[in-house]
Parts: sequence; structure tokens; C-alpha cells
Amino acid sequence: MKQSVASRAAQIANAMLLKDFVSAFFLAMRYFFKPKPTINYPFEKGPLSPRFRGEHALRRYPNGEERCIACKLCEAVCPALAITIEAGLRQSDNTRRTIRYDIDMTKCIYCGYCQEACPVEAIVLGPNFEFAMETREELFYDKARLLTNGDRWEREIARNIAMDAPYR
Amino acid sequence: MLEFFWTWIWPPLLIAIHSLAVLVVLLVLLAFLLYADRKIWAAVQLRRGPNVVGPWGVFQSFADMLKFVFKEVVIPAGSNKGIYILAPMVTAVLAMSSWAVIPAAEGWAVANLNVGILYIFAISSLEVYGIILGGWASNNKYAFLGALRSAAQMVSYEVSIGFIIVTVLLCAGSLNLTEIVLAQKSSYGLLGWYWLPLFPMFVMFFISGLAETNRPPFDLPEAESELVAGFMTEYGSTPYLLFMLGEYVAILLMSAMTTILFLGGWLPPLDIAPFNWLPGVFWFLLKFCAVFFMFAMVKAFVPRYRYDQLMRLGWKVFLPISLAMVVIVAGVLVGFGWAP
Amino acid sequence: MPKLTIDGIEVEIESGMTVLQACEEAGVEIPRFCYHERLSIAGNCRMCLVEIEKMPKLAASCAMPAGEGMVVRTRSEKVRAARQNVMEFQLVNHPLDCPICDQGGECDLQDEAMAYGLGEGRFSEDKHAFEPKYMGPLIKTMMNRCIHCTRCVRFIAEIAGTEEIGAIGRGGATEIITYLQAAVTSELSGNVIDLCPVGALTSRPYAFSARPWELRKTQGIDVMDAVGSNIRIDSRGASVMRILPRNHDDVNEEWLADRSRFIWDGLKSRRLDRPYMRKGGKLVETSWDEALAAVAAKLKSTAAEKIGAIAGDLCAVEEMFALKSLLEELGVTNLDCRQNGAALDPALGRASYLFNASIAGIEAADALIIIGANPRLEAPVLNARIRKRWLAGGFKISVIGERADLTYDYNYLGAGPESLKTIVAGHEAFDGAQRPMVIVGQGAIARPDGAAILSQAARLADAIGAVSADWNGFCVLHEAASRVGGLDVGFVPGTGGGTVADMIKAAGSGALEVLYLLGADEIDMKALGDAFVIYQGSHGDAGAHRADVILPGSAYTEKDGTYVNTEGRVQLGARAVMPPGEAREDWRILRALSGLMDAKLPFDTPEELRDRISDAVPHLEQVDEIAFADSAALKALAGKGGTVASDPFRSGAADHYMGNPIIRASAVMAKCKALHEREEEATGTDA
Repeated sequence: MKQSVASRAAQIANAMLLKDFVSAFFLAMRYFFKPKPTINYPFEKGPLSPRFRGEHALRRYPNGEERCIACKLCEAVCPALAITIEAGLRQSDNTRRTIRYDIDMTKCIYCGYCQEACPVEAIVLGPNFEFAMETREELFYDKARLLTNGDRWEREIARNIAMDAPYR
Repeated sequence: MLEFFWTWIWPPLLIAIHSLAVLVVLLVLLAFLLYADRKIWAAVQLRRGPNVVGPWGVFQSFADMLKFVFKEVVIPAGSNKGIYILAPMVTAVLAMSSWAVIPAAEGWAVANLNVGILYIFAISSLEVYGIILGGWASNNKYAFLGALRSAAQMVSYEVSIGFIIVTVLLCAGSLNLTEIVLAQKSSYGLLGWYWLPLFPMFVMFFISGLAETNRPPFDLPEAESELVAGFMTEYGSTPYLLFMLGEYVAILLMSAMTTILFLGGWLPPLDIAPFNWLPGVFWFLLKFCAVFFMFAMVKAFVPRYRYDQLMRLGWKVFLPISLAMVVIVAGVLVGFGWAP
Repeated sequence: MPKLTIDGIEVEIESGMTVLQACEEAGVEIPRFCYHERLSIAGNCRMCLVEIEKMPKLAASCAMPAGEGMVVRTRSEKVRAARQNVMEFQLVNHPLDCPICDQGGECDLQDEAMAYGLGEGRFSEDKHAFEPKYMGPLIKTMMNRCIHCTRCVRFIAEIAGTEEIGAIGRGGATEIITYLQAAVTSELSGNVIDLCPVGALTSRPYAFSARPWELRKTQGIDVMDAVGSNIRIDSRGASVMRILPRNHDDVNEEWLADRSRFIWDGLKSRRLDRPYMRKGGKLVETSWDEALAAVAAKLKSTAAEKIGAIAGDLCAVEEMFALKSLLEELGVTNLDCRQNGAALDPALGRASYLFNASIAGIEAADALIIIGANPRLEAPVLNARIRKRWLAGGFKISVIGERADLTYDYNYLGAGPESLKTIVAGHEAFDGAQRPMVIVGQGAIARPDGAAILSQAARLADAIGAVSADWNGFCVLHEAASRVGGLDVGFVPGTGGGTVADMIKAAGSGALEVLYLLGADEIDMKALGDAFVIYQGSHGDAGAHRADVILPGSAYTEKDGTYVNTEGRVQLGARAVMPPGEAREDWRILRALSGLMDAKLPFDTPEELRDRISDAVPHLEQVDEIAFADSAALKALAGKGGTVASDPFRSGAADHYMGNPIIRASAVMAKCKALHEREEEATGTDA
């Protein structure tokens, strides 16, 4: 394809006079002074949906009794096989409880099926997403850890569930 | 005894003090300019940039330095250990030693060499060794390819830089940096500095400076998408810090050189009342910062060159133009009898 | 042979069948809760309603006799609506606690509710609530879930024959309860857990421990008695979670004795999970290399006639064959698999030690003499078969031996050999019987004069016509699962070899220096003197305590094993889980040992081993078949005679919950034993 002499000359002139460069510079400068949309993350946080699926928690009833009844539906539904449960008889009141409730957070894909499967709203994916750890072992959550999460986040979790309830 | 002190001890001591002062100022300046570099880049991309360490994040660079220093030095098993360690030191030391001749104001140079410009040219040519050594000693194909690219790139652009400097020298009539600055002093003020008469040279020098220091858009030696991190792939911790330091000191040197060669060094824009009250170093720093700002902005708004484009630009555009300009400038100077 | 049309399919059925059975013949599935093939018909759940042409109302198909020319519709809208309504009524009082119910996932009501449930309840009133009832250490009750199908009541009354569970109250207030809420004492009580279509009766030891979908199901063979009940071993990971019966019409139907069903906790405790050696009088942990080297060195350095071997009651044919092959290679003749000293000898012909009539054959018999046995405790499932035959009528049962409640009426003839002698002399009472049976228990033959008694029993069988061309009613009832297999492969003293009693005596006197116990724990360990005892087995029981070297073997759930049951049926049990720790399959241990002894056994894989076994004993190749024995041998046996002592026959009753190392390691079995002992104290024995 042959370029006309005029357009070739114009191209050279543009290059020599740094036309693109200068216009790009001014474009960049316009952005330079624009307000920044970035959220100043650790100090301010974006809004979360009530359906946000973050760190897991095992909830309790208001009287302090753990909700989980060891039905193992979450274990069965988990597509990543991240949940391991051992059920058994609690000696004090002969109720069905978990002896072990482990979630391998490194396996979890945060699909939320466990929460959907749970008949007593015991296992939930809470609003917390800041649980990065220094070692892999720390991400193997056990029952105590999950119950502690539940205690710590109960207010937010309860509010989220209440907010989402009308749409279920 | 006293005489012995003044004759033999004091002069080297003074040089050491001078050097130390320059180094301290240079490195502190570097820390803040690094921070500025990141902030500018972030601002153009509508981000906030570092904003956690210290007020507005100004101490980010110090935090980074501490982080690098406290990290473990990992030396690859197949590397040539001695050279692997030596390479970043070579880069950093050479980059900093060029600063010996840079005058920040009249007489403010550690060594006011009469061949200052040649010294800088010589030292900055040596810098390629740090990269070659590092890339080769890593025993890693990405590092090696990165080093080769880097060497070729630096050598290519040094040629045109040389010719550009020659045009400046022709105009100034001296190899001494102080005298080059003083040669730009005229009644036209900022219009008399060489950036206007030698405008194409100014532009080409700026671009070559980008290429020479491996800055974007010519950061091909460390093209992340192709070569991981180029010659620095295997480096971490303090050796990496030294590479970074060398690279940024070279960038500052380029900014300072641009200021001195084309923007009149420490000269005020107009030699009239409010401007010439301020000390020369203020004007030098202002210009220096402005050039650095451009360096940072270019990173933000120019897309990366392909390697063949880079080579084409160096050899087929800059080299003939600068060569031609040497002839033209010389001809004009001789023809009009303007030669100093 | 009436013909009916079911959903357009024409079927011809035997007369006397119900409409539900006819539907099954036609391949149409009818939902049901109360109906069960092996129980009487109750017709109280109403789930099986079908529409029959020319009938004004829907009929309960389980209780409706099929008639000629009936046109049955099972999928009409009317039927569906009726079933939905029945389901809604079932769910009126049924709690929605599936997540905490052990039946969840294998629940008939859950399944049918998926098909016929409404999805939401219209019943807003309070549900009926009942206290859980105590039914002993094996059955956990949650009576809120009961739908009053009365399967459990019918099972206990009809099959188990103890009539302990009943229903009180009427209508919605009906409650299933044991009399005075006592523990269920039937040794078949666990079957009501399987029968219960909902989660009202669940297994107490298994409570809450696993879900059906996470269990790996393995087909095994039970070894707690010699019936060879077919079982399904449900395991998760490395542990057996529960044991359930598998249907086998000719062996255990679908029942399983409690001690076979609830034994699995014994598989986890007191296990030998690594080799041990006695050093300085104490057993210390050691490595396989060291232990096998020590055993090999000892066996090599000892003269063959000073070595003996005893096989225990739970061994599979494989390891007995392997040990026999190894020791015969060394020239050892002191071999015995008859731990209890039973006077059975393969040399007398295979018919002399089999339950020749076969278990299913009981139903064809018309008279029975039980000599020195308590089938209810020694083989509960077999006893249920006898009871089934007895319930059908025309079955005369006589007993010589201990008097006990066998769940059926019998004519008690006496306690010991004298009574046997009397009946041999005057057997007119049995003359009318076409197919009489003589069951000889271990209590009659596991005694010094056992051979003579066996001979007398054979004479009795001959005399009353139990042995004829088409019927062999001479039955030896074994207690040990390994016994028939051991006798089949010839794990008995060779020429000049000693029996168990001889070996113990020789060991006590120092004449026998090395004794190899292959899972044998029931002998008197204190009488072994200074003999070097090698114990290979799964549990730390009597044998392991006495042993000088322990080689940890595997239990029956941990190996692929061949077992021959009391009727001579060859059955294969599959491995459900791996043996614990460093324990290995028993035949592999013996194979490894043979390698160290320059007497390498000629097989490296289970297949090669089985080939060798079937080369040596051809009928062991025919899995799940009975190789019937030639009854001619019995005539010779009858002629042998011998002197008989006068002590009364004992029975295996005392050992029911203590009989082998696995049972002794089981906490659940210990609870059952304690319960039975209390029971005996409270009511006195039935004698």
C-alpha cells in the first residue's frame, strides 16, 4: 500500500513535533488530577452484600448451645471435599454432636453449598475475608476455631441472614 | 605535624566528606524520588499509590529498603557465586561514582574535572557490565537473555547519546560540566539554554536516556511478560536492592545530565530580580525534578516498545539524525562564526 | 395358577399369593412399610393401596389374596392420591428430625416421602411425643419416629421367638414397648433395627457415628459362629463402622445374630499392631525382620517332632493351608485345628463332620434330635431356621443335653450319654419320620469320649432313618468358623502327630519345644510349660500374653478369606479395611516366614494360593456351593463304637458372649454378657 507523499510528510512532521507524545502527556495529566476511586483498603472498606461468602463460622443458639447437629449434609454436599466431620453422642445430654468439625480452608472454594445444605443454619460463610495466615497449618480450621469465628461474627452474620431472609 | 595534616590528611578527608555528603543527599533524594515515581504512576492510573508508611506514605522507600536488607540472600545453586555477588555491586558503585562530577550549583561538584563529560560517558558505559555479569552469573536462561538484550540496548543508545553530547560540546566549547552550564548563560534567559537551539537533540537525548537506563517504554531487559524479570530474575534481598539502586541512580544521573546539558543547570530562567535571589541549587533541583517527572510520566503513558522497534529506533533513526546534526551544528557554528 | 393383569401386564402366579406379591412378579414396585416378606402380614400402614377393578374401594395389596382375573392398577391418579394421603397421615406425628436421625439416608419413610410427600405439612397442631424406651445396650429407640408398622413386634414374636416387644395403647397413642421396659434379651434382637422402616429403632453402638453415604460396603462372611452368615461390612476410612446382614436364602436368610452384628468395636481394641518379642521375660516391640528371623531360627533349630501347631477358631482356610504346607515341608506332624478337642476326624469321611442336611434342609426335615447342643446360643440364625420349621408344624423336636429355652417346644430326653444310649436302643418315637435330623453339638463330642458319642449319634441317625439315599440328616453343629475349613484342608495330626491335648501335655513336660498358635486362644496357656510359643493373630488375648514371639495378623474384616461353614458351604469374605499398623494378612506372614526358612511356599499372590488350595482340596474351588459328603462314611462311623463316660453333655451356652478373642475385646459384647448374667440372677436359669 502506497502512502501519499502528503500523508507521509504529515506523519513525519507529527513524529518530529512529538504530537502524539504531547497529547498523551496532557491526557495523562488530566487523569493525574482526577479524584481517585481507590478505596483506602485497610482503613476503609467497601460495602459487602449480605450474601457475601467469606470465612466460615459455626453459629450458636442465643442460649449458647451450638447449632450444629452433625447431620453431615455439608460434608456430603461439599464439592471440594474440604469438610471432615466425625459425629458422635455427646455424653452429657445424649444429643448428636460433632466430635470433629474440620474445614480445610485451602481446599474450600467458597461455593456456599454447605450453608445452603445446613438445616439449622449452623455453618455459615460469614462476612470476614481477612483471614490470611502465615502458615498453611493455620488454615486447617477445627471446630473450636469455627465456633470462635461464630461467636465473633454472630452480630454481622445474624444481620446478613435477616437481610437475605425475604428473598429465600 | 600540622603541615603534614594539612598536606596529606586533610585533602583526601575533604574528598571523603564531600563524597559522603553527595551520597547521602543523593540517596535520600533517591528515596523520595522513588516514592514520587510510584505516586505519579499511580495517580495517572487513578490509584493512590503508597500511602501507609509515614504521612502519605513518604517513607515507603525506607520500608522497602529495610525489607530488602532483612531478607535472606538466596544464591542459586548453579550460579557463579563470586560474580553473582559482584554484579549488583558493580552496577551500584559505578552509577553512584558518576555523580562525582555533577555540579548542582557553581563549584558544587566533588571533582570539577575538565573532562567531566567524558568521565560520565566512560563510567556509564561500564554500567553495562553489571548487567551482563549478573545475567550470566545467575545461570538462568531468562536472566541471560535479559542481560543480552540490556547490553545491546545500552550499547546502541550510547552511540547516539555520544553524538548528541558532541553537538552540545560543539556549542559549549568545553568538556567541563560547569563550563557547559555557564556557556548557556545568555541574555535570552531560558530561551538561550540549549534545549531550544538543539531541540531535536534534547528530545533524542531524553529518549535515549530512557533507553540507556532501561526505563519504560524501553524496559525490555526486564520485560515481565517474556523474561520474568530479565537479568534480575534470580536476585533478591540486598543484591536486588543494589541493582535497583544502581538503576535509579542512573536515572537520576540522566535527569541531571539533561538538566546540565540542555536546561541550563543551576541558571535561573531569567536573570532578573526575584529569580536570581534564589540559590542556584534550587533551580537545579527544580529542573532536575521536572525532568524526573517526565521520566515518571513517560512510564505511565507510553506503551512498551517491541525489541525490534527499539533497535530500529536506535540505529535507523537516532544514529543518522544525531550524526547529521553533528555535521549541521558544526557547519552552522563554523559558517556563522559562532564557534566558541 | 391364577392370572391377573397388573398395570396392563399379565402375570401368572402361584395360588395363595397376595396382590402385592403378584405386583412384584410383574415388576411393579408397591410402597410399603409394614409388609415384610419374612414376617406375617399386618396390613396396618395402608401404604400399599392399589385399585382393583370391580372393588368399590382401594385395597391394601399386602393383605389382599390375588384372585383369578383381577385387574390391578397401581399407578392411577386415585392410587397416587391415596398414597399421598397415607403419607400425610404417617407424617402427622413423625418428627422432621432427619438430620439427627441415624436412619437418614437409608430410611424407607424418607424415600417414600420423596415420592409421595406433599412437600409441606398441613398439620399445624402439636405432634404426639413419646419418651424414648429402653431396649437394652444394642437398640436405641426414638419413639416419636415410630409409625406403628409393628415389624419389630412381629419379628420378635415370630422369628426370634421371645415375645419381648409389644404394642400398647390404641390409635395415635400406640406405643411400641418392651415388657416393663426391660432390655431385649433375644440374641437376634439387632434385626429389628434393620426391619424398622424409620429411625425409631436404631443401633446404639453405631449411634450418630456415620452416614450411609460415606460408608464403603464390602461383602464379608461372619466368623462368630459356624453358620457363615453373609454380612455387609460398612467401613469408613480405616475403621469398620458397622456390620449388617446380607441376604442369603440358604444360610442366614436376612438375619444376623447380635454377636455377629455388634462385634465391630472389638475389631478396634486390644489389637496387635506390630510384632513383639519376649526379651528378659517381657514382651517388647520389635520389627518384622527381627521377629520373623527369630521364628525362622527357632523352627530351623528344633527337631520336627518337637514342633506343634494349633489353628484357632477364626482362621480362614488360606492361612491354615499355608501353615500346614510350611510345617509339612519341615516334617512336622503335630497339627490340629480342633481347639476344643472335638473328636472329629477327616479320616472318618467328610460326612462325619458336616451339617449334612444343610441349613435350608432343616425346613424339609420332619423330626429332630438335638444332642449336646444349644443351637439358640451356638448358632442363633440356625436356631431361627429350626423355629421357622417348628412354626410350620409337624416337627417333633427332642433334646439330649442341657435343658434350655430354645424358643420352641421340645421333648426332653435326658442329660447325657445314657439317654443317648436309651434312645438308640428304643427309637420307636421316630419311626414315622421320613426325614429325621440328628444335630450333634460340640458339647457332646468335645470330650474325651467324643469319638464314641459321635459313633453312637451316627448309629442313632442310621437307626431312625436319618441317612438314606436322598436324605442325610446327620448334622454336626460347629461353633468355630474355621473348623470345617481346617478339617477340609487336613489341619489335623499327621502320622504320629499329637492332638491339641497331646501337644499341651507334651509342652508341659518339655517334649514339645515350639508351639505355633495360629490365632488359637482357647487352650490352657498355663499348661504349656517352657515351650517357645509363637502367636500369630489379631488380638492381644490369652495366646499373645503367653507368646514368646507375636506376629500381628489380621481379623476377618481385614483379609480376603475363604470360610467353610458348618454345612460345608465354601464362602469368600472380602477385605473391608487394612489391618492396623504393621499387621499383615496372615498367609503373607507365613509366606514371608517360609522365605527365611529355605522352604519357600509355592505361591506369591492370593490367586496362586487359592489355586494351590483347590489343587489340594478340589471342592474348595466351588464358592457358595455345598459339596455334599458321601453318607456311606456314616455307616462305618456308626460301627466304630467305643466306651462312653456318664457325664452329662454341656453346651456352648456360657461362651456366647465370650467365645473368641474379638468378642472378648468388644465392650458392647461385655455389656450384653453383663446384662445376661443379671437376667439369669434375676429370674433364675430356665433349666
